[in-house]
Order: sequence, then structure tokens, then C-alpha cells
Amino acid sequence: MERGGWWRSLLARVTIAYAVGSLLLTTTVAFATFELTQSRLLSDAQSQHLEQFKNNVTDVRLRFQALPEDPEDIELVYGDLLAQLSTPNGSQPLLSPSPEQFRGRGGVSEDDLPTNIRARIQLTDLEVLQQRYTRNGEPRYVLAVNLGDQGVAYYEFVSLADVDATLQSLRLILVGVAVGAGLLGALLGWYAARSALAPLPRISNAALAIAEGDLDTKIEFQADRDLATLSEAFNYMVEAVRERIEREQRFTSDVSHELRSPLMTLTASVEVLERRSESLPDVAQQAVELLSQDLERFQRLVEDLLEISRLEAGAVQLQLSRFRLAEFLDNVVRGERHQNVVVHHPPRGDTISITADKRRLAQVMTNLIQNAKKYGDGDVEVSFEAVGEDIHIAVEDSGPGVPFEQRERIFERFGRIGSSAGNRAIETGFGLGLSLVAEHVRIHGGTVRVTDRIDGQHGARFVVQLPLGEHVDVVEEMAE
Amino acid sequence: MHCVGTKILTVEDDERIRLAVTLALEEEGWEVVEAETGERALDTFNATPTDVVLIDIMLPGIDGFEVCRSIRRNSDVPIIMVTARADTHDVVAGLEAGADDYLTKPFAPKELSARIRAMLRRTRANEPGDLERIKVGELEISPDEGLVLKDGEELHLTKTEFKLLVELASQPGKVFSREVLLERVWGYDYFGDGRLVDVHVRRLRTKVEADPASPRYVVTSRGLGYKLQP
Repeated sequence: MERGGWWRSLLARVTIAYAVGSLLLTTTVAFATFELTQSRLLSDAQSQHLEQFKNNVTDVRLRFQALPEDPEDIELVYGDLLAQLSTPNGSQPLLSPSPEQFRGRGGVSEDDLPTNIRARIQLTDLEVLQQRYTRNGEPRYVLAVNLGDQGVAYYEFVSLADVDATLQSLRLILVGVAVGAGLLGALLGWYAARSALAPLPRISNAALAIAEGDLDTKIEFQADRDLATLSEAFNYMVEAVRERIEREQRFTSDVSHELRSPLMTLTASVEVLERRSESLPDVAQQAVELLSQDLERFQRLVEDLLEISRLEAGAVQLQLSRFRLAEFLDNVVRGERHQNVVVHHPPRGDTISITADKRRLAQVMTNLIQNAKKYGDGDVEVSFEAVGEDIHIAVEDSGPGVPFEQRERIFERFGRIGSSAGNRAIETGFGLGLSLVAEHVRIHGGTVRVTDRIDGQHGARFVVQLPLGEHVDVVEEMAE
Repeated sequence: MHCVGTKILTVEDDERIRLAVTLALEEEGWEVVEAETGERALDTFNATPTDVVLIDIMLPGIDGFEVCRSIRRNSDVPIIMVTARADTHDVVAGLEAGADDYLTKPFAPKELSARIRAMLRRTRANEPGDLERIKVGELEISPDEGLVLKDGEELHLTKTEFKLLVELASQPGKVFSREVLLERVWGYDYFGDGRLVDVHVRRLRTKVEADPASPRYVVTSRGLGYKLQP
């Protein structure tokens, strides 16, 4: 399963959502605040100026009604007028006796006018035009009026630098607030998500414990109502799983008992027949022999199947004890009366001890040796060596070996080489052998694999790798 | 054959198994008495002198453990339990109830005969021989008479417990591994079940030790086995 990047995590997503949400909210509020404040500040400034402007317009009109004839005198009147106009707000007047003539105070000229206002003013009459614009980076505001006859117009420029400075500071503050709120939101989101997600590690740990077979695992979240519901559901699930497993185990043991009874009767009866076989006709003797052999095979198959189902149900408890490996292997070979089987002892091999389930490990070795005898002609060689914390036990034969692509499958149930022969696996009772080997080795915490022989000769080499288990505490005596 | 006249009580509720096992045991030369329930088994046992008892632990009514405990209350007759599986607690429970040995079903009657013979061998090993009285602390063991005295008082041991004690007492202070004890006391090969030894040691301790939890005589040698502390 692909895990994805960090943003795929719930914590990151909640954090980002909170951050974006709060950023969006504060930005909207900040924007509205800015707009409102700006229009308010501007309209305040404008209305202040408008009063003054109107007074000035009246003055200008009065003067223009009584202009002298001499152009030089007219110029004097203009200068006088410009000097007299009251501009307490720092506005700058600009007189335009005709559309081409401009007289300004404080260095203002027609160049300071926004271009379109001169056109617009021609279309009006005694109406105050107002326009905001920027000149040389300075925000400005112009008031204009067309005084009617002869194209006389009057303008006043007002600098909005103060207002603008105020608005700049406000903008800075608002951006700061928005960013701060975004960060705060992210922090809040992270905290909220983290507290909401805090139970997850406990739940996943519990799930892992259950997966490993600890069905007594429970989770408790009594303090929180929502989580209490979750933990109840979880515990209910565990209970249901446990019941199902127990049912299956009961089924297995029931089946086991059911099969054992007829097998017991068969075994005892066949034994009687065998004892009396000398008094039987030849044909009957052969039949009894067949019966006896296949009964044994059937019995082993049943045992193997039951063992596998127990292993799968996790119902197997290893009976661990500590013993010397060399002595053990010698006894395995001797006990099964294996001919042509040689156990090679490494130097100081007698000192190697292992902690394992003796009976099950013996089954592992017996299965491997029988397998080697069956598929490899001739001698079987068993050897072992300690490698670090592990022990390697090798069983080698001189057969054709196991093809590379079969080396995994051979340990599967009935996964014998050349399984094209159909039910041969079941027929001979070896089909379960290697899968049992794999399972038994696995519950001992080891591995088993098959390779070619390492001495260059033909044949398969099965290697069982087991932990020496030096530190495993073997229960020497049960519950004293 | 030495088994002629040896009476075996088989307790088994499955009629077909009982019949087949009886047939096979009689073929081996034993005399067999059958019982299909625990109650019958106890009645039969009390009425007939019996040499070996074979009990299936799965019995309707009184179960095999209870039958075993009842017999053990006043008899040291060898008892063999039949269990379904080797790796369950049934084995330990059966041994603790007083069984001397166990077999898992299905077993070969030949194997059962071998077990019975091994058991009778150890009960008959106490004929006059060259074993001398052994004194260890307050314990006085006389293998010939099959007697164990503690402070002059006779202890009631089963034959298997007695054999185990004699084996340990043959070389006081020497550690015997489970494998060795299994072979000498039970006649098992290397792959015998070590729990037989463990449970019998525990049973033995409840009889010979003042405080079985901290034994004075039958001492565990961790990782190696058991010894009789001289």
C-alpha cells in the first residue's frame, strides 16, 4: 500500500484546513474593514474640503463678475484672488479663466490635473466634480467646478498623503492580523487534530496485538463519550473474532476426536489381523499388508492435517526444552531407523545446545530426511553449524535437486515438485510434510529454504535456520 | 509368556474401540476386563484384582481424571491414560491425577503392550536383588522391600514414584537428565515426554519433602535435570 506524502496525513490535512479557513475568514474581515475605513476616511476628508471649496467658489465667482478691462489688471486680480483664497486644509487652488489659461498657487499648474477632468468639466455647469487620482506616486484629490460663462473653471487640489499613510498602516496591521490568524488557525487545527487523533496509536497498537494473537487485548476510553463508543465497538469486534476462533478450534478438536475413534478401532483390528496373517491365504495376507501400510499413511495424514489446522488457529503451544543438537540429531536418525543417513558433526559440535520443542523439531528433521530419501537417490547427509545467534541444520541429498522456480512452492501445502501427477501428493502422504516443516520452523522463529548443494554435486540442500534460543527461559517445572 | 494372568482393566466408552482394543490385547496375551463408564470401572476395580488400568480421559459421567484420582486414593496400581492429543494440558492434568504414563489416541496396541511391560517390569524390579538400603537424611530407602521410610514412618509411593526415587538414590548428588530418567524409569527412548519426569518429581516431593515448594531432597538442577541431595 502506498503511503503518499505528508499531506496525505489526516493531521496535516486538518491543520491545513484550519489554517486556510481562518486565513480566508480574517482576510475577508480585513478586506471589508479596510474598504469601509478607506471610504469613511476619504468621504470625511472630502466633505471637509467640499465646504471650504464651496466658499472659495463663491469668492471666485464674485471676483469674476467684476473683472477690470485691462489685461494687466486682470492678472493682478487673479494673483490677488489666488492669494486670498482660504485653504486651511492645505489644498492648492488653480484658476482657469478660460480652458487654455491656468493660474495656480503653490506651483500647481494644469499639468497636475488628471486628463479627463478638463473634458468632463466642459459638460457641466456649477456642478462640483470630484476625482481621486495619483500623481508622482502621491494620492490626490481634485475638486472642480465650471463657473459657466466664458469657460471659467476653478480647481482645488488636496493631498491625500495623510489619509493614505493611515490607510497604509491599517493595511499593514490587517495583513499582519490575517497572517497571524492563519497561523493561529493552523496551530489550533494541529492541536485539535492531534487530540482527536491521539487515540489512534492505541487503537493501532491494540489491532497489532490482536493480529499477533493476543485476543485479550482491550481498549478503554471511558472519559470520552465518542471514543467510548469506538472502544465498545472495537472490543465487541475482538470478542467476536475470539469467539469465531474458539469455534474453529472447537471444530478442529471435535473433528480430531471424531477421526481418532475409527482410526483407533482400525489400528487395533488391523494389528490383530497382522498377528494372525500366517493363518490367512496369501491373497489375504497381501491385502492385510496393504491395509496396514495405508492405515499408517492415513493416520499420519490425519495427524498432519490436524497439526496444520492447529498451527493455523494459533492453538499450538511449543513445549520448549534445552538439549544438545548433536545427540538430538543422532537420535532422530537412529529412532527412525534411517539407513544411508549420515550426521556430520562439526568441530566442537557437541557443545551446541538449542532451545526448541523436541518432538516438533524431530518431526521437522524426520520429514526432511524422508523427503531427501524419497527424491534424492542414495545417501542423505545431515550437518549443522552455529552461525552467530542461529543454528543452521542442512539436509542434503543426491537427487535431481529442486528447480529454481519451485523453491518457494515446494513448502506450500501439497506443493510438491511435479504436482502434474495430480493426487500423488495425497496418495503418498508427503504433500503436507514440507509445509509442516515450514510451519514448525516458523513458530520456532526460524526459516527453511532449499538451494542446490554447495559442494558442486547434484542434489538439493534444505537448510533449517533456527535461533539458538540461549536466552529463552525454559519452564523447567510447571507451576510449582 | 510372563503376561499370562496379568489382568488389564480398560475403561473406554466407545464400544467399537473397546472391542478392538480388547481383541488386540488378548492377542498379545493379556487378560482384559472391560468397563464402559467411570462408575463401572470403579466397581470393577474394587471387585476384581487388577494389575494395570487403561483409562480414556473422555468419559461420560465421571471423567477419566476422577476415576484416576478415586483409584489412587487407595491403590498404587499402574495407570495409563489415553488422551486425544499430546500437547494439551490433559496430559499434565492426567499425570497429576495420578496416572503413571499416557498414550495418545490412536495408539498401536503393540505400543500399549510395550508400555504395560515396562511398567510391570518396574513394579517387579523390586524382587530380592543386590540393591542395598540407602539412607539420605531422614529418608531410608530399601529397594528390595519396596519401602521408603521417613523418620521411621512408611511413605506411600506409587510404583513409578518409588522407581524414580530409587533411580535418583542410586547415586545421591548425581544429576540425572530427563532423558536418562525417562529411559530407566519408563523405558522410553530419547523422545519421551519430559513432563512425565517433571510431574512425577512434583508428586514425589509432596510425599518426601517437608516443604515441597523448597525441596530438601529431590532438587532441580536447572537446565540439566534432577538429583537427590545427600
